[in-house]
Amino acid sequence: MSARSQPGPALLARERPAGVGPGPGPTLPASLRALVRSSLPFLLLLAVWWAATTALHPRATVLPSPAAAARAAGPLIAEGILPDYATASLKRIAFGGGLAIALGVPAGLLLGSNRLLSVAFTPFLKFFQSLSGIAWLPMVLVWFGFTERTIQVVILYTALFPIVFNTMTGLRTVPPRLADGLRALGAGRWRLVTDVWLPGALPSIIVGIRLGIAYGWRALIAGEMVVGAGGIGFLLFQSRSFQQTARIIDGMVVIGLLWIFLDAGFLRPLERYTVERWGLVQR
Amino acid sequence: MDDGGGCELSARPGPPALARERTPTGVKIQIIALRHEYRADDGRQLLALDGVSFDVSENEVVTVVGPSGCGKSTLIHIIAGLVRPSAGEVWVDGQPVRRPGRDRGVVFQELAILPWRTVRRNIGHGLEIARVPREEREKIVDRYIELVGLRGFEDRYPHELSGGMKQRVAVARTLAADPKVILMDEPFAAVDAQTRITLQQELLRISVLTMKTILFVTHSVDEAVFLGDRVMVLTRRPGRVKESVSVPLPRAQRSWDAVNRDPRFLAVRDHVLQSVRAEVAS
Amino acid sequence: MKRGDSWLGVLPFVALVAAWWVASHSGRFSAGALPRPESVLAAARELASTGELQADVLASLGRLVLGAGASVLLGAGLGILAGLNRFLGDLLLPLASFFSAVSGIAWIPLAIMWFGLGTVAVTFVIWNSIFFLVFFNTVLGVRSVPRIMEQAVRTLGGGHRVLVLQVFLPGALPYIVSGIRTGLGFGWRALIAAELIAATSGLGFLIFDASHYFRTDRILVGIGGIGILWTLMDGAILGPLERRTVKRWGTVAEP
Repeated sequence: MSARSQPGPALLARERPAGVGPGPGPTLPASLRALVRSSLPFLLLLAVWWAATTALHPRATVLPSPAAAARAAGPLIAEGILPDYATASLKRIAFGGGLAIALGVPAGLLLGSNRLLSVAFTPFLKFFQSLSGIAWLPMVLVWFGFTERTIQVVILYTALFPIVFNTMTGLRTVPPRLADGLRALGAGRWRLVTDVWLPGALPSIIVGIRLGIAYGWRALIAGEMVVGAGGIGFLLFQSRSFQQTARIIDGMVVIGLLWIFLDAGFLRPLERYTVERWGLVQR
Repeated sequence: MDDGGGCELSARPGPPALARERTPTGVKIQIIALRHEYRADDGRQLLALDGVSFDVSENEVVTVVGPSGCGKSTLIHIIAGLVRPSAGEVWVDGQPVRRPGRDRGVVFQELAILPWRTVRRNIGHGLEIARVPREEREKIVDRYIELVGLRGFEDRYPHELSGGMKQRVAVARTLAADPKVILMDEPFAAVDAQTRITLQQELLRISVLTMKTILFVTHSVDEAVFLGDRVMVLTRRPGRVKESVSVPLPRAQRSWDAVNRDPRFLAVRDHVLQSVRAEVAS
Repeated sequence: MKRGDSWLGVLPFVALVAAWWVASHSGRFSAGALPRPESVLAAARELASTGELQADVLASLGRLVLGAGASVLLGAGLGILAGLNRFLGDLLLPLASFFSAVSGIAWIPLAIMWFGLGTVAVTFVIWNSIFFLVFFNTVLGVRSVPRIMEQAVRTLGGGHRVLVLQVFLPGALPYIVSGIRTGLGFGWRALIAAELIAATSGLGFLIFDASHYFRTDRILVGIGGIGILWTLMDGAILGPLERRTVKRWGTVAEP
């Protein structure tokens, strides 16, 4: 048990950039330098991609050149397809994910409040989490057809189980002595929930939300491919039908960028403002 | 990655023959005009050691004591071959030190045994690397398990042991590899006071029993005087040898009870204490 | 968790089946929308008697083993190399993190363009959804190994081979295992999605094919198979792997 925290400090100690002393010549501001440093790998990838297409001349349906991929993005943006589809996908994940959080956290808290209840539901939740919404997609298609609702149900289902499960296990791992300490101060039941159980379970809840949204995002892409009611996944699938590999790659880049946007704009701040500030980070 | 062979090769041209002559017989570790500069995390250049020279004879236990930050750990790392000095030379058993090697065993300050090996496999690790046949290895390991008092814990993993027991494993691992000299970098700094006293007594007993040449670095004056035939006092940074003090009582006759009643021992301890204190205060 | 409590885990399943039985017999849903439990069992027997079910299970499992095996070997191998080299690691980490964000399902259309419909495309998608996670975690894992352990083994005479096999690989294992766990979670889902779209066999294909004929009983057989298979894999592979390594060594990275 005592060795569990071992990886942490050593990692931190070695993560420090070694010897970033003042170098020769004018020094860039730190933030700009960090930007250059982190974009360097992507520029390198672009260079390798470009070199591969110029040297090997693969067919455009196999691998278009970076320039061709960039050109293909022009009309997609100009005709409004890309912005429309991107917003559609973002709206879906926001709605499905938001609903999953709103339902999943209270459900998890309820199940986690009782030891026997959580023991009873552990295999159940694990089983249905492993199924994922994608497996249910054909079934949901039978129920709701090729509609917006089908995609929503799939996202909700996929994101819900990790959130419920992690909230429940998070609550079970809060040391009871924390509550005892507060009870000794005369705290009531509601105060225990807001001051002990909820913050104690929070790191685990956040892990659940991150995992749920990540699974949900992928289920969304798969759902859009199959259902075909717009969205980035549909763009990919449609482009494949017309053998437009350049558009597929553009769509993938957008998926990556949107995920980074979701992660940096929502999931990470959520973690920062709660868990890290309280020094509860697990990793 | 055969370190022994590499050393031999690189030792052939030039100075070695000369230096080997220079090394007096019976001297195991020879440190000549060692100087070490390094860049700290904040980018400043720091001089850790400056003009450090001394010898350690065969079977001798030399302890090095000094204020924190005087480069004691750096000294061990340089002799171990883990750090290349800015200037100066280190010779061990007539060979120049260039990289880590089996001839120099090191017991580290922090926990350096591997969590994924049992006590037995940790202690036998050096022998395993040296490709000692299994049967012989087991025999040697058994002997050292007995010596450091870990009988009954052979098949435990480190996380199941107390801090003192873990450090015993580290000591046994170094002994089992049968190095020519043993370097110890504050090995008992992280254990509780009670365990530390036990470990010091045990190390004393083991050092007498195995007749190993040991260089032991510590910030504790008591520990340095208790364990050493000689105590080297280092100055504040940059570390230089301030003085070398011989400890009167033979190691074989020491125990914490005995030394606390011996006026000659107490006088030496007070002398070293004053010497180190002067460095901290100045 | 107390020993005698494990039977409790059966209760929610029993409750669910009971509710399902009542609902499907109430006459409010058509057999197409909500098949009865007994007809699902019958469908399972039928699929098993023709050998269809077994063939689909084997196809899915084969792809998973192939894709996951390749990605774990490559991811851990390259991850150790990149973890040992500061420059290489710093260069590749942002790329790995980006690609794990687009990994898996998003690659299905491109995989079809490259490999056509079938096992190769599906296996590629699984490989892709696990590889970057394992790689990323391995680099972090190698960097997390305390320097002092490396130094200690070097003073025992250990060379590169010994350091990699006996220090960095086991030291990075808690991270690698957690990467495999997360990766398999994604990979398993990607497998089902890829089989829905890009294959003509496997459990994913089974349920998608059944949906064309509105055979919801068969769909539920497929869904049940997916859940049972994952539970078995989790219990037979991931659990023992963790018990025999990181848990025994006391180096578990996360609770």
